[in-house]
Amino acid sequence: MIEVKDICKTFQLSKEALKNSKKNVLDVRQDGREFHALRGVSFSCAQGEVLGLLGPNGAGKTTILRILASALKPTSGDITIAGESVITKPEISKQKIGFLSGKTGLYNRLTARENIEYFARLHGMSKQRIRDVGEQLYAQLGIEPYLERRVETLSTGMTQKVSIARAVIHQPEVIIFDEPTTGLDIMATEVILEFIDAQKEQGVSVIFSTHHLDEVGMLADKVTVINDGTTRFSGTLSQFTSQSNESDLRKAFKHFLSSDEVAVCG
Amino acid sequence: MWLVYLKELTELLRDKKTLFFIIALPLLIFPVIFGAMGLVVANVALEEQQKVLKYAITNNNQVPEFSEALFYHRDFELVELALSGDESKRDAVMSGMVDVVIDIPNVHSEHIDNYTQVQWRLFYNDASQLNLVKQKIEKVFEPYVSEIQGELRAAQQLDDALFNFLTAPIKLVVENTADEREDIGEKVGGLLPYLLIVLCMTGAMYPAIDLGAGEKERGTLETLLLTPISRFAIVLGKFFTIMTTGVVTALITVASLLLWGYLIGEVAGVNVVSKVFTTVGVSDLLLILLMLVPVSAIFAAILLAISIYARSFKEAQNYMGPISIVGFLPVMVAMLPGIKLNWTWALVPISNVALAIKEIVKGTVNYDMLAVILLSTIVFAVISIVFCTRWFNKESVLFR
Repeated sequence: MIEVKDICKTFQLSKEALKNSKKNVLDVRQDGREFHALRGVSFSCAQGEVLGLLGPNGAGKTTILRILASALKPTSGDITIAGESVITKPEISKQKIGFLSGKTGLYNRLTARENIEYFARLHGMSKQRIRDVGEQLYAQLGIEPYLERRVETLSTGMTQKVSIARAVIHQPEVIIFDEPTTGLDIMATEVILEFIDAQKEQGVSVIFSTHHLDEVGMLADKVTVINDGTTRFSGTLSQFTSQSNESDLRKAFKHFLSSDEVAVCG
Repeated sequence: MWLVYLKELTELLRDKKTLFFIIALPLLIFPVIFGAMGLVVANVALEEQQKVLKYAITNNNQVPEFSEALFYHRDFELVELALSGDESKRDAVMSGMVDVVIDIPNVHSEHIDNYTQVQWRLFYNDASQLNLVKQKIEKVFEPYVSEIQGELRAAQQLDDALFNFLTAPIKLVVENTADEREDIGEKVGGLLPYLLIVLCMTGAMYPAIDLGAGEKERGTLETLLLTPISRFAIVLGKFFTIMTTGVVTALITVASLLLWGYLIGEVAGVNVVSKVFTTVGVSDLLLILLMLVPVSAIFAAILLAISIYARSFKEAQNYMGPISIVGFLPVMVAMLPGIKLNWTWALVPISNVALAIKEIVKGTVNYDMLAVILLSTIVFAVISIVFCTRWFNKESVLFR
């Protein structure tokens, strides 16, 4: 179970960013040199649940996911995984989280196997455990035929599969996907979606941010909508449509963005 | 940390660009460049040597013998010009009508007859590095002056001793106290630190950009930051990789230069490289290598910090230009004439190592001072690494 409680994140704007912000329409989150990227974001995702994180560009999706993965520290609030704080014990939480962004995060000049094993060893896995977990994972993803090939020679779909293996080789309890299907073709997208579904079956909590509402409809048990750094909706998929009085996900999404209504259903 | 180090090194060694900069460039390109430069300089010098100088002369009737010698000399070609004031003489040179104007006063004969000194003036452009105008004229001028002196000696019936005394009452004879090693050290020792230190920096530059800004751009840095390994370990792994490439580049380049220098020397009959080998011992070479390690550490830490600050590969490349100057300056200062290693210079980072390498090659190094240099450089390197690590922990730097 992962719980995100009232997370706030404030950045100090650089001179350059401050100059650019003056040229654009004023963002409600800007306060002088401070930019309140997140202003109290809360949601939760239980074991075996898939949560779809929605929001327009710049809403704060990547920031909250980076905080979840301990890459950024929040200004206030807390995140717990199975009761343990990600904020106070980032090293422990890093063992429990797998992260995959739109960029594959792979080293092109290393082979697929070298990439996966490198990250496994960074997670403190023994050679034997890497072998055991790896064999099962490679078979599940169907990547054995090109494990010894350098990443730079792989197709987009192959690379995506390898990057999934890289993100989950240490068997995390929570997997975070930051817009994982952006820019991918149908086949590569299919790989990601199938994998998310399989993880759900294995009892892993999956949080994925996306702009594709059809993916949310297919996979998500829960939905969280973020706009301007605040939670506008958080609840189950059925609550998402029922509370907005819209049967269509797109319309429901628009509803929570345009109205002042905030619905956190727990 | 070693896991990161080994992975970075493996990846760098599989990169054609890195291999080119670290191995191919020093081994092949530098000798080709130096060879080509030598060829061009030699050609220019030869051209200058063989160039026929166009000259104009005033009052040549005052010095018929000199005029005649000049006229028939293969290096000179007379241009008849009507020259009145100094302005016209300058114009003649500046307009390119002649290379030189030899201005002989109309009172030349009168002064010579009265045994009073006479002044000739040469108008020519002396801005060029390779300018042989004066030397060429002196080839004709000196025999002419000797002739006048000979006539004077005969007329005054002076004996040789008195004549020599009059022309040069005191003769300076130089007895060089420097031994062969010090002599070679003074000549080669200035160039060696320049090569080694600058190469340590340039060799580290590309890997630093690739391991910092390059990783940021490719999105792999973020993935790395999400692993349980500490940021200090990540910094150290990257730092040691960059430092290794810097030192290796410097060593390969120097080895390449020595090899090519030796081969060229064998062909051309010049034994500078063999002399360096026989005069500088293995222990001194190891000492030089030891001095390079903390210097490379300073460069590696600074370059990595800058690279990690940059948003992209291109931005990092833009920062490297000014940083190179910061690296070059202390080495250049150490090469300035009159700058000698003392306790004050021993505390100036990079300059101290450049001066120490020179002293090691010369064989005149003070080992107490060397220890201080090593210590101060290590302290500076540690400060640089701490600064780099702190920067690596700043969200505003990592996620600009």
